Amino acid sequence: MKNNADLSINFCGVKFENPFCLSSSPVGYHAEMCARAFDAGWGGIVYKTLGLEKSFKVVMPSPRLNAYHVGDKRFVGLQNAEQITDRPIADNIKDLLWLKKNYPNKVLISSIMGYVDEDWTELAKMSEDAGADLLELNFSCPQMAHKHAGHRIGQDFHAVAAFTEVVKKASKLPVIAKMTPNITDMIPVALAAKEGGADAISAINTIRAITDIDIDNFTPLPNIHGNSSPTGYSGKAVKPIAMRFVSELCNSKQLNLPVSAMGGIETWVDALHFLLLGATNLQVTSGIMRYGYRIVEDMIEGLSDYMIERQIKSLDEIIGKAAQKIVDPSDFNTRYQVVSVIDENKCIGCGQCFISCQDGANQAIKFDAATRKVSVNEERCLGCLLCKHVCPVWDCISYKEVDTSYTKHAAIF
Amino acid sequence: MKKPIDTQNIILHKCMRETLTLEAAIKESNRCLLCHDAPCSAGCPAGTDPGKFIRQIKFYNYKGAARTIRSNNILGSVCAHICPVEKLCEKACSIKALEDPININGLQRFATEYGKIHKLEPLKRSKKNNGKIAIIGCGPAGMSCASQLAKMDYDVCIFEREPSAGGVIKWNIPEFRLPEDALNYDIENLANQGVEIKFNSAIDSKESLNKLKSEGFEAVFISSGLSEAFMLDMFKTYTNALDYITFLRQVKFGKDKLNLKDKNIAVIGGGSVAIDSAVSAKSCGANRVYLISLEHLAELPADEEEIKLAQLMKIIFKSGSQVTGVIQDGNIITGIKGIEIDWVQEGKFTPDNARQVSGTEFSLNVDLVVQAIGTKPGKEVGNFAEGIKTKGKGVIMVNDTFETNIPWIFAGGDVVNGGATVVQAVAEGKKAAESMDKYLKNRR
Ligand SMILES: Cc1cc2nc3c(=O)[nH]c(=O)nc-3n(C[C@H](O)[C@H](O)[C@H](O)COP(=O)(O)OP(=O)(O)OC[C@H]3O[C@@H](n4cnc5c(N)ncnc54)[C@H](O)[C@@H]3O)c2cc1C
Ligand SMILES: Cc1cc2nc3c(=O)[nH]c(=O)nc-3n(C[C@H](O)[C@H](O)[C@H](O)COP(=O)(O)O)c2cc1C
Ligand code: SF4
Repeated sequence: MKNNADLSINFCGVKFENPFCLSSSPVGYHAEMCARAFDAGWGGIVYKTLGLEKSFKVVMPSPRLNAYHVGDKRFVGLQNAEQITDRPIADNIKDLLWLKKNYPNKVLISSIMGYVDEDWTELAKMSEDAGADLLELNFSCPQMAHKHAGHRIGQDFHAVAAFTEVVKKASKLPVIAKMTPNITDMIPVALAAKEGGADAISAINTIRAITDIDIDNFTPLPNIHGNSSPTGYSGKAVKPIAMRFVSELCNSKQLNLPVSAMGGIETWVDALHFLLLGATNLQVTSGIMRYGYRIVEDMIEGLSDYMIERQIKSLDEIIGKAAQKIVDPSDFNTRYQVVSVIDENKCIGCGQCFISCQDGANQAIKFDAATRKVSVNEERCLGCLLCKHVCPVWDCISYKEVDTSYTKHAAIF
Repeated sequence: MKKPIDTQNIILHKCMRETLTLEAAIKESNRCLLCHDAPCSAGCPAGTDPGKFIRQIKFYNYKGAARTIRSNNILGSVCAHICPVEKLCEKACSIKALEDPININGLQRFATEYGKIHKLEPLKRSKKNNGKIAIIGCGPAGMSCASQLAKMDYDVCIFEREPSAGGVIKWNIPEFRLPEDALNYDIENLANQGVEIKFNSAIDSKESLNKLKSEGFEAVFISSGLSEAFMLDMFKTYTNALDYITFLRQVKFGKDKLNLKDKNIAVIGGGSVAIDSAVSAKSCGANRVYLISLEHLAELPADEEEIKLAQLMKIIFKSGSQVTGVIQDGNIITGIKGIEIDWVQEGKFTPDNARQVSGTEFSLNVDLVVQAIGTKPGKEVGNFAEGIKTKGKGVIMVNDTFETNIPWIFAGGDVVNGGATVVQAVAEGKKAAESMDKYLKNRR
């Protein structure tokens, strides 16, 4: 009989039945949607960012989305020009109350964005009264129409520290500060949030980007009545960048705060990657926008099987397992050198590795026109493995270590 | 110039549907549109739910995919090899509007294999605290009904006439289309549910059925399939005229005794079973294999794929022909006589509608005749279930919840539908289980 592994986590003193949460966005726009997400299995939700309409009336630009397609692969990335919520604060608060009442065991995180101290205070108090378990401070929306909000604040250390402090004073709830990736180094901002009293960091919000241009009328997309702007990019395509930021946050000894990670999570393997880098909690938007809440079923089942197969009792055993393997390039052991090995039986003779090595590496592959088979000249092979990465047969090309004392490498050492 | 034709072994090898590699499965699942209403799932009579297991594969949840298949269809591995998918799930695939349908059957093979290789945990064992139910016949319908009942914690016992489980799949479906492992894996899954199978235990008399009642069984499901093949009268007295049931079983389990090397065989019939028989004969080294059918080539009920296979195997089609007599030596047939026919009335493919065409008489030297012209339920059904209502060739009549006219007796599979597919038998077994559950609950 199938046993489920224990996927529960403790994040800022709050227990989650599993680490999978909706990130703040249209996927958590109102109570009915959040309820369906809970029913599908999500452990928590970060509600769509709240703001006060008396300070700033939000109107969404239209159309607000564009997707990045690569060849026939649709929706590799998603660009959005969306603002924070455009629903009245009173309606949203009612929704939060309803959700907490009907889903007491699920975790409710209220994402808030103010423009002045008073807004932050009011939003924090209202959220706490409505039953939120945690607060997430949105310092990171890259396309707010308001001049003193979003990623502009997120790039300003002093503002981040000050607003965090205001929220901490207004509410007893644990506070997560959400970081923008539109900055060279995220650590100083995260440290500022910590200084203001933040209990955790979440990252990444979306990356400013241009995904497409209409070549007939010279307008970048989304074409918002003749104009466009570099706005928030998310989804599978940003996962490598998100992993870099998350790893830096998790590896900062000075910061030493729990991290809620997001950026391109669609499968349990993506989720596991972030856990291995050191994140405790995980959030998803684009994957849900593309495939629906149902994807959490496969995250739960897949991660659970992974743990059972390896006899992992709790996620704590694996969180951060890959973190210590991340070092500065100056610390690499360059005495270790490899060359590629091609499995002749698996080779289908397409010659893609030959072309790539010829024009993109060191001309180490020979293509036999008569047999359509390739072979590696180990003397010339750089061990870059470009060939392996272009090969359409996934397990055809591997590599082996070479002795660096007397091969061509000897000259270098 | 035409390409030289592959040897027989290569052709037969290609017949076995291959299991997709991980890489191919990922590619194929990424082609899927993950439709909201999953028409593929609606296209599967047994509710195997391809829409869900393909999604699970796409999101790297391979074990989850294997679980979905196994819990919805206890013959999931068998079906992954022999379902006529082009008429079922793949027929319904939305992407057909753009390109080839998703290779759903290939993905199903991938997932079930994955589950097997990675030692998927056994299915939940029945607690057996919900009443006793007997099942007669351990073919697909019986296995599916048993599995579904075990899920609901019934104490299920299957009574099987033969020494092994599987029914037609075990004894008759040729090896070159279905690897033995697939059936064994499905049987193992069923056994893990705590279902007991009593082999060599036919229920064939009033006494044996009454005994079930006295042993405390509260309901019975008859899934005894079709075990009596039709025979043409002219062949009845000869020792070398076999029905397909006997023949295919010998090919699978008694090849040495059969000894078809260099012999000529005539197969009578034009359906899938006839083609399986003809190809099997050829695979045993037969010399000339004739497929004699009333239907003309374009009218054959067999699938196009199967006909193509027979052609590749160099089966000789005597389509649109009728056997008129035998040439004998004592009680051994040495040849058959035949004649070509036309239809009196187009579109009606029955012997009484055939008009012989004079001047087309032929005779063939044959060493063995195999008849594949249909089957019916065994006579014992009427014997043990006295008063059970049947129709046509003796198939049991049921209502839409698979209840017979006798209150505690239910039936499904070939013995009810007259002969369909494995997945249809699975579907009927499942539905009958639900209805038996309701029946027993109402009685309490
Ligand atoms: C040659 C051939 C090829 C086929 N190919 C395909 C295919 O490719 N794809 C497909 O989907 N379908 C195929 N079918 C059809 C499919 O095999 C049947 O529809 C399916 O097996 C029916 O299942 P069942 O459980 O109703 O009956 P069966 O499979 O006939 O099982 C009945 C069981 O009951 C047992 N039994 C019978 N009488 C008694 C009794 N009195 N007491 C106890 N036990 C008894 C029998 O021994 C048997 O085990 C094929 C059929 C044949 C003959
Ligand atoms: C349409 C859209 C709207 C979003 N709105 C918000 C928001 O209101 N507040 C916020 O903190 N993040 C917002 N985000 C960012 C997401 O919460 C998340 O940080 C980002 O999309 C990366 O995760 P993903 O790759 O799983 O989508 C939005 C993202 C999208 C795509
Ligand atoms: S996704 Fe829904 S809301 Fe958006 S444009 Fe289409 S129909 Fe409208």
